[in-house]
Amino acid sequence: MWMLQWLPNWIFYAVLLAGVFGLVASYLIRFLSFIPFLYVYKTPIQLGSIVAIVIGTFMAGAIYDNDAWEARVKEMEEKVAAAEVQSKEENIKIVEKVVNKVQIVKTRGQDIVKYVDREVVKYDTKFAPGGICEIPKEFIKAHNDAAEAPK
Amino acid sequence: MKYILLLLMIGCSTTVPVTVKFPEAPGNVAMTACPQLQKLAEDAKLSDISKTVSVNYGTYYECAIKTDAWIEWYQKQKHIFESVK
Repeated sequence: MWMLQWLPNWIFYAVLLAGVFGLVASYLIRFLSFIPFLYVYKTPIQLGSIVAIVIGTFMAGAIYDNDAWEARVKEMEEKVAAAEVQSKEENIKIVEKVVNKVQIVKTRGQDIVKYVDREVVKYDTKFAPGGICEIPKEFIKAHNDAAEAPK
Repeated sequence: MKYILLLLMIGCSTTVPVTVKFPEAPGNVAMTACPQLQKLAEDAKLSDISKTVSVNYGTYYECAIKTDAWIEWYQKQKHIFESVK
């Protein structure tokens, strides 16, 4: 609430107190006979006091509401900060897991390629074109079709 | 009367200045797109076929790790986000 941003809270409590004081005083005005003209202002004082009480009460409620919101905002800020820290920690765990697993897959792939170069390569002549077990072109086509990315 | 209404409406202008930042992605590895699978040459030898198949399996598993990481990331971040209330 903008009014609470640039006016101190005590002003609104002072307005409320002034209103209560004014209203009480307006009923006691008849006893102040040593100030003769004061009784003439009884009704304006009462009206002014009622307005001051209304504004003071409203603003006291607004201050309470504002304080409650500020406390809630502070609580939320703390929760959000904690959540951001937790989020980063979880991300670090996930990244570590991904890096480790990818490394395992890469190492395993390299080991398999080495194994192929050492063991499978012995059968290359047997499966060469024109050899005993020639790899049919249909096999190559089937593999390549399966490896093709969907468009 | 309209000034009283205006005064009363001031109380409705409260805004909550708390913003939640979108969580970071789970690292650069997960942000790279999955590569295309390798194809065989027409005159591929048995060892070439074996290598290509194993490389393609490796590519699949790398991509699966990334997808699993995103699934886990989403579940964790959703849980964290929902815990902020």
